Amino acid sequence: MKFDFNFMLVALKAAIKFLPVSLILAFVPLVIGIILGTLIAIARVFKVKVLWRLCQIYVVIIKGIPVVLILLIMYFGVIQGFDGLAVFFHWKIRSKDINLIYVAIIGLSIYAIATISEIMRGGLMSVDKGQYEASYSVGMTKTQTLWRIVLPQMFPVAVPMLCSSFIGLFKGSSVAFLISVTDVMNGALITATGNYLFLEAYVAAAIVYWVVCIIIERASFILEQYLKKYSNEVAL
Amino acid sequence: MGKMVDLSLIFVDLPLLLSCLHITLLIVVFATIIGLFLGIVLALVRIYKIPVFSQLATIYISFNRGTPMIVQLFIVYFGLPSVLLGIGININRWDKLYFVIITYGLNAAAFMSEIIRASITSVDIGQTEASYSVGMTRIQTFSRIVAPQALLIALPNLGTSFLGLLQDTSLAFTIGIIDVMGKAQSIGATTYHSIEAYMGAAIIFLVLGILLEKAFTMIEKKVKYKIVA
Repeated sequence: MKFDFNFMLVALKAAIKFLPVSLILAFVPLVIGIILGTLIAIARVFKVKVLWRLCQIYVVIIKGIPVVLILLIMYFGVIQGFDGLAVFFHWKIRSKDINLIYVAIIGLSIYAIATISEIMRGGLMSVDKGQYEASYSVGMTKTQTLWRIVLPQMFPVAVPMLCSSFIGLFKGSSVAFLISVTDVMNGALITATGNYLFLEAYVAAAIVYWVVCIIIERASFILEQYLKKYSNEVAL
Repeated sequence: MGKMVDLSLIFVDLPLLLSCLHITLLIVVFATIIGLFLGIVLALVRIYKIPVFSQLATIYISFNRGTPMIVQLFIVYFGLPSVLLGIGININRWDKLYFVIITYGLNAAAFMSEIIRASITSVDIGQTEASYSVGMTRIQTFSRIVAPQALLIALPNLGTSFLGLLQDTSLAFTIGIIDVMGKAQSIGATTYHSIEAYMGAAIIFLVLGILLEKAFTMIEKKVKYKIVA
């Protein structure tokens, strides 16, 4: 068996065409994760009644389950359970009408919320206690303190980890091909179904993932340097 | 038509899934052993900046960190036989399990080498200088002074990486390994109740993860006590 370089280029082209899908699959969960994850982190750090426990249980459970399982459970939940619900509530929509990319996005978001909330919790706890006390002493309310004092200090700490979380999500989105979402992985594989040159297709997918991850890593490094400079200027 | 989602089936599936747990654990344990040895070699190559090998190690680690596990799995599965056939070794009849263990081992090596490298470089240079000044050789310095301190720093991260590996093994079923996930898939295929089987698998992963985490905290405490005291 020889490695067919020309076919790899064909697969590479096909894979790049579906790059936006993979990026959406990573980016939307990242945004949702940052918003809800921050809220969960705040609830856990400030020990909001009941909610605090619920959030903790959620994070522990989701962090213990592999992403593939979350996606597969969602997928089969939609296939097995949704039609029954639809009949019960007299909805017109059936499970075969649902675009599976939404299932993948929701599944990845569930995972992203849990992991990002841990990052945010670490960020929140890294802010010095004196900062809270100082802002309370000048008469700020709790919301003001959070919004004006704590969150701006927390984000620079969290940015490097958020970037690596983005890379993790981008790589994690590759399992969406198991629930037949056409992302980079599936895009490359579809070209190989005719001639069984799967190795070339997988190498092509690997190259796309690798290059994009390197780009994200570089961007994260630049962003980090920028934030560092910014915080120095303010502090000194 | 019966109930579409019957949660009581989870308890029927759980014993079946548990009967395949040893495959999952086998993959994790062997991959960790390969990963640790190869990871230490890679880390030392990069720390002592051995020419050519150091650059190769950097590329290797970058590739492993930049591509999804599932892609690596398939590349090894389809690629390794033809590469080895080129140098005259025929592994076409190997069990799939070996491919999985090799892939996870190679992947774990990249991640563990980063952890090991960070922990070795985080040991203060003054420690090395001090041990040189009392007349220790390079190897003595490493094994008696640097390594124990580095181990202490590396342990929590190695634990996290081990748990990550456990979660990653859930992808091995894509090339047809019958581990917990593979069993869940086959149960789903025969009974049309996939979601219950996968939920059972999720419970197993969750409990296993929590137990291993507890075990790691205990080991950490023991090691800390031994080294510090």
